[in-house]
Amino acid sequence: MTTMTQNRFELFVNDVKKRSFGTRTDAAISTVVLILLAYIIWTVVDWALIRAVWSKENVEACRLEDAGACWSIIDARHRIILFGLYPFEQHWRSTLACLSIIATVIISCIPFMWTTKRLAASWIIGFAAYYLLMEGSLIGLQQVTTDQWGGLSLTLFMFASVVLLGMPMGLALALMRRSEMPVLRIFASILIDTVRSLPLLVTLFTAAVVFPIILPDWLQGDKIWRVIVAFALFFACYQAEVLRGGFQAIPKGQFEAGKALGISYANILFRIILPQVFRYALPSTINMVVITFKETAIVIIIGFFEILASTNAAYGTGEWTSYYKEALLFAAGIYWIFLFSLGRYGEYLKTRMTVASR
Amino acid sequence: MISKFVKFASMATMALAIPSMASAEISPTVKQIQDRGTMLCSGHNGSYYGFVEVNDKNEWKGLDIDLCRAMTTAILGDPTKAQIVPLSWAQRFPALQSGDVDIIIKATGWTMGRDTEVGLQFSMPYFFGGAQFMAHGDLGITEAQELEGGTVCVEAGTTIERIVANHLQTLGVEHTMVSYEKAAELQAAYLANRCDAFAAWGPFLAVLRATQLENPDAHVILSDQLSNEPISAAMRQGDDGFVDMANWMLAALLIAEEEGVTMANVDEMAANPPNAKVARLLGTDPGMGARLGLRDTWAKEMIAAMGNYGEIYHRNLGENSPYKLERGLNNLWSHGGVLYAPQLD
Repeated sequence: MTTMTQNRFELFVNDVKKRSFGTRTDAAISTVVLILLAYIIWTVVDWALIRAVWSKENVEACRLEDAGACWSIIDARHRIILFGLYPFEQHWRSTLACLSIIATVIISCIPFMWTTKRLAASWIIGFAAYYLLMEGSLIGLQQVTTDQWGGLSLTLFMFASVVLLGMPMGLALALMRRSEMPVLRIFASILIDTVRSLPLLVTLFTAAVVFPIILPDWLQGDKIWRVIVAFALFFACYQAEVLRGGFQAIPKGQFEAGKALGISYANILFRIILPQVFRYALPSTINMVVITFKETAIVIIIGFFEILASTNAAYGTGEWTSYYKEALLFAAGIYWIFLFSLGRYGEYLKTRMTVASR
Repeated sequence: MISKFVKFASMATMALAIPSMASAEISPTVKQIQDRGTMLCSGHNGSYYGFVEVNDKNEWKGLDIDLCRAMTTAILGDPTKAQIVPLSWAQRFPALQSGDVDIIIKATGWTMGRDTEVGLQFSMPYFFGGAQFMAHGDLGITEAQELEGGTVCVEAGTTIERIVANHLQTLGVEHTMVSYEKAAELQAAYLANRCDAFAAWGPFLAVLRATQLENPDAHVILSDQLSNEPISAAMRQGDDGFVDMANWMLAALLIAEEEGVTMANVDEMAANPPNAKVARLLGTDPGMGARLGLRDTWAKEMIAAMGNYGEIYHRNLGENSPYKLERGLNNLWSHGGVLYAPQLD
């Protein structure tokens, strides 16, 4: 193993030598670029780490002339960014709830879990755990209503529920759209095209703000669910088109061959067609999921205290408003951790599936 | 003589009004609040300096929040029964119409369009904010009259630009006006001493001075109030009883300040009221409650929980806050401001 990494490292060095320092001009340009890069990195490190102030007790030091980043704001206000308006003494619940969603996502990434039953079980357990912990009244804890949910835990919840609801809906729509029954086909294509021609913001605003005016009380439900369902529908319509691309990549002959062998529709679909569809649609699906994670920030406009709103609240007070950069960087860091891991996981899946198809 | 007549007339009308009031139904919104056991107020999707913020304990704070808590105490007797619903600016009026909130106390200006077309009803104003100047302290000036020959910076294309030009023209002050496209540019220009003064919304200037500038004491907000927007609580049209309640909640906070009733001395004042007005206000003499369909001690409980108007102001915008915003117009009429309470009879 060590010899291999050493070998790789040598190869890398040789390659750099050949490509970037081959001629004098190349060497000069490379040196200038490297110096510039080093300078930028140094400036950032100097600001963010070396001259930074770390604890909220030292906040006075942030006001000094040569102070760097003031991470005191994170020390003092990170709970707002993470948990929004959730009651302070109950934050352990919000933490556990977050972990249960993250754990569920990680668990369902393991190939061992990839059967419908196992996946369904883990998601139902993960979700129930989240809801019971956050809401509380059903397991004898203090009740916390959904308008107090917020921060990272709300963002994760919205993201997970949108994808979870949207995926099967998207699959159903994709199947309907290529169904042989005209009613289903026409219904699906009209629905998909209608939703896709509406801006997400309008859809969510309607669900959150307009529905309570026009619907009777018993049909309204909690605002958060209306928004999640609307968001999931939106996701589903795009995902249906992504999956349609996957379906089109599969030769019709496979279906016909399956039928000729007397295999049932469900078996053809779930054992022959869908595994291939998902393989073809994987890059775009990962793309959709990543975009959805970021788009959850839109719910700020209908008054949800998701992570960006809570970051805004974290620096939105007289004592801390000068340090908005640090707070926003912190929030960006959180996004990066989640989305980068998601992207890497997508890469892993692709390699895995290429191996499988060989 | 006249006042005697007025007194007589008002007593006569009151006597006539009592039977109809006794049969008058309690406001539907108040009924809902009492049945629900919580009052739904507007919060913000983030924070609006001094008015709606979140403290280190993940709880709402701010002038608007405190007023909501005061009103909740008046109706339900407990400030913690206020439930603050986060709302964006765009969402606040539909949310009120659909019943997501009972009242909007959210730095909302009282305008004709909102009062008529949008279908809202406004309380009396509880805050006045408008365009003001901020100047470098070393100039040693305190009012716009002294800006003679100076350079004034404003944001281009805003109403403030016109208001400033108008105001300085009226005062006959010779000046050079420089406008900038963005607030950030404007701020930078001011800090680089390219302008002697700059004009913006008063509370915004105060926040800027308190938080973004290296040395707040080196800048002074001039006393001139160039324009004025009344900030009121907004309610659904058609619930007059609830509007009355909002008005009298604000009135009670102002009367308390006028009479020197504070969070600290309210119990003492209630036990030994210095005059009949305080006795009535704090429920030592009965009458305050029945008229609004509340307890006689609602104002006392409210002040015990949140303090009088001055205390609420200083906690959130004034001297006890990071912003140190002068009372200015938002002082009692007897102290040079424009806030006044209707008569408590």
